[in-house]
Amino acid sequence: MKEQPIPERLQISPFLVFYLVMSMQIGIGVLGYQRIIAMDAGYDAWISILFTGACVHVIVWMIYKIGETVGGDIVTAHKYVVGNFIGKAICFIFIGYFIIYCLTIVRTFIEVIQVWMFPEISTFWFSFGFMILCIYIVFGGFRTVVGTAFFGLVLPAYLLLTFGWAIKFSNFYNLLPILDHSIKELLTASYHMSLSLAGFEIIIFFYPFIKEPKKSQKWAHLAVLTTTLIYTILAIITFAYFSEDQLSRQIWASLTMWKIVEMPFVERFEYIGIANWNLIILPNVCISIWVASRLIKRVFNIRQKVGVFFVAAAVLSVISFVDTRIKINMLNKYVGKMGFAFTFIYIPLLFAAVMIAKKLKKGKNK
Amino acid sequence: MKNKRIKEDVQHKEWEKSLIKSKDFKKIFYYNQKTNVRFGLTFMATLIDENIIQDGILPNLLEEEFREIEDIKQLVPVADVQICDDPSLIEQKLLNGYVMLTVETELKHFGFIAAQKEIVRGLSQPEVEFSVIGPKEAFVESMGQNLNLIRKRLPVKELIVEEFTLGSLSKTSIAMLYMENITNEDNINTVRQRLTNVKFDAITDSSYIVQLISDNSNSPFPQLLDTERPDRVAGILAEGKIAIVVDGSPHVLITPTTLVEFFSSFEDYFLNWLLSSFFRLVRLFAVAFSILVTPIYVATLSYHYELIPKDLLSTLITSRREIPLPPILEALFLELTIELLREAGARLPTKVGQTIGIVGGIVIGTASVEAGLTSNVLLIIVALAALASFTTPVYRMGNTIRLLRFPFLFFAELWGLLGIVFCFCLLLTHLMRLTSLGRPFLEPIYPPRVTDMKDAIIRLPFEKQSKRPIFLRTKNPIRFSKKKAEEKKDIDE
Repeated sequence: MKEQPIPERLQISPFLVFYLVMSMQIGIGVLGYQRIIAMDAGYDAWISILFTGACVHVIVWMIYKIGETVGGDIVTAHKYVVGNFIGKAICFIFIGYFIIYCLTIVRTFIEVIQVWMFPEISTFWFSFGFMILCIYIVFGGFRTVVGTAFFGLVLPAYLLLTFGWAIKFSNFYNLLPILDHSIKELLTASYHMSLSLAGFEIIIFFYPFIKEPKKSQKWAHLAVLTTTLIYTILAIITFAYFSEDQLSRQIWASLTMWKIVEMPFVERFEYIGIANWNLIILPNVCISIWVASRLIKRVFNIRQKVGVFFVAAAVLSVISFVDTRIKINMLNKYVGKMGFAFTFIYIPLLFAAVMIAKKLKKGKNK
Repeated sequence: MKNKRIKEDVQHKEWEKSLIKSKDFKKIFYYNQKTNVRFGLTFMATLIDENIIQDGILPNLLEEEFREIEDIKQLVPVADVQICDDPSLIEQKLLNGYVMLTVETELKHFGFIAAQKEIVRGLSQPEVEFSVIGPKEAFVESMGQNLNLIRKRLPVKELIVEEFTLGSLSKTSIAMLYMENITNEDNINTVRQRLTNVKFDAITDSSYIVQLISDNSNSPFPQLLDTERPDRVAGILAEGKIAIVVDGSPHVLITPTTLVEFFSSFEDYFLNWLLSSFFRLVRLFAVAFSILVTPIYVATLSYHYELIPKDLLSTLITSRREIPLPPILEALFLELTIELLREAGARLPTKVGQTIGIVGGIVIGTASVEAGLTSNVLLIIVALAALASFTTPVYRMGNTIRLLRFPFLFFAELWGLLGIVFCFCLLLTHLMRLTSLGRPFLEPIYPPRVTDMKDAIIRLPFEKQSKRPIFLRTKNPIRFSKKKAEEKKDIDE
């Protein structure tokens, strides 16, 4: 079966990859990654962020190389390496991964809402509303999903400035002495950081939707760079604001920092922040639903609309059962591990396999 | 010879059967004085201008040498004189205000002389899109007059006027205008296709066309811009858009449009770019304020009163202390009152409308505060929000904005601030999915096009606008060559 190329009117401009990648990388993780990375590497953890950022660049480069070689998305890449049937079987796992990923984001966000804003909000009904919104977005096609990513990044961008209030009460000597942790501790922190920086791997799923994908590569790298810098700067501000002991007890350090924000007409800024976070979470969920439903379409050859409904229904049917902090934490841990395995282990392996397959095919042709 | 005028019964033909029942159907026979040829005039008396018959047609036909139908081309001093032999055209021509001429000797040929009675309202000032500076002409109900107003402003051969007749009963003439060398061919074809596909019996106004050819008829947002300003139409034609003139409607439609265009008044182009950019920003702020402020009030007072600083909170509590209603009912009560006042004011004659506005605004407002139904603060907020919604330069969009407040209120009551953001996401998605003539409605915000931003949220000076908007995909994207304008000067040169 020859694959149909995506018609141009459905494709996106190369620079929009910037927003897609960045909005996927920035999600619920920003609210509380500081404590997790500081657990091992202490206040040297910002070095780990930079290190992870550098690794991400390498993976992005690999993804583009794969896409360029096979001229398509991950399904095409699998077909290229192991043939149609096994390729689709492997993709089946990713459908599961993205459904669970979607579930985790929505559930964690609802937890934040329940802890900080509405203790009584119904998990099911809020996620029900959220899923309807997402279905509406995904039905608008990939361009609408990218639009959500664009607005989900641009509109809440002002929130970054609000962390400036914390600087007034910061003590940057907290960061000293630099490099008093072992390499192993730094690497563990890097591993934890990789969970927050993950999300860029979606490029391999929408690669055929980019107009002139080669031009988009620099935007993808720029996006990763920007995200890394945002995470680093925010981490440094957090480290300067909290003492190490204090930070170890803050699950959502970023939210706590908003408590200091004070304006003549607004107190308790975290309410506005969390409400706005809805906009940031939305592209995360929509993109993962889009990817999952797209994979369903590619693997089972059914309409993508059916896939979207299936994904939403799957998330809704499970979400009520994840009801305690422990379960949510467990879910996050497993998704993190899966994400790490997929991004930092599977993609390099796939890259190697594609390169070998390319060499072999070249040899055959001769 | 004597002037003979005879009325007589002839055998009725197919087309005559229904027309003869109408009182204004006239069929009169005459004899020419010189050649004694007997000829008949048939017309609808209410549609034709009797002066044309009295002064232009009859004297010439009676007194000059008139032998056969062919002669009328010389004898009758009217520009639109046609001779044809197809009886199926008769009905339509008669009902379009033509006088039919028949000669006894030539039963197969019919002469048609145009004698339409044109009742044209005099040009008046634009009322909805009034501007202090700039031209004061507005469109009227006659298509001929409207086309004249547009053509006068664009006297070039590339301005094409294509005409359609739509509506099985109303037979409305509709003209599609575009610049042949600029406008995108796909857009022209789409509009042409959609207009020919219109299936409706009576099209009495351009608003019908707006609803019939919109991309998404289930959206509260208008996807075609309607304007009563000829200068605006000329301006958009030069940009490469398409205008649709409907006979009998004083509003001309513009397509494709974008959301930001609905918030730009044409007056913006008459002012210095700094001023007009400032006013545009004020307008956009007003829109956001108008939609969001009441929902935010409801959300904060229902759920998040911790958000409000202590000093402000005490003011709010004092004003709400004696109100028995929850914030949502209080807000709904006031919002509906304002809508009621607006609706009543719009339906009444101007002077009564003003009185209602004052009575409603002052008396009901004060009374409801004193009666303890609403708080002072909310009264101010709702009044300001209503005021802000009237800053939208396009009337249709103003209506949409007032409607949008209600879903926001609902979600604010449901989930507080979170609900407002949620509803905002819904709105944003709807706007992203919306297209006008297949072109994205939110452009240039999304898809982001920096070059089109120069005339969107702000308006840069004309020298910077050397290119036509990208989203129109015009045949000729350059408005003027920029090279000449670009000679930079140093100090003291």
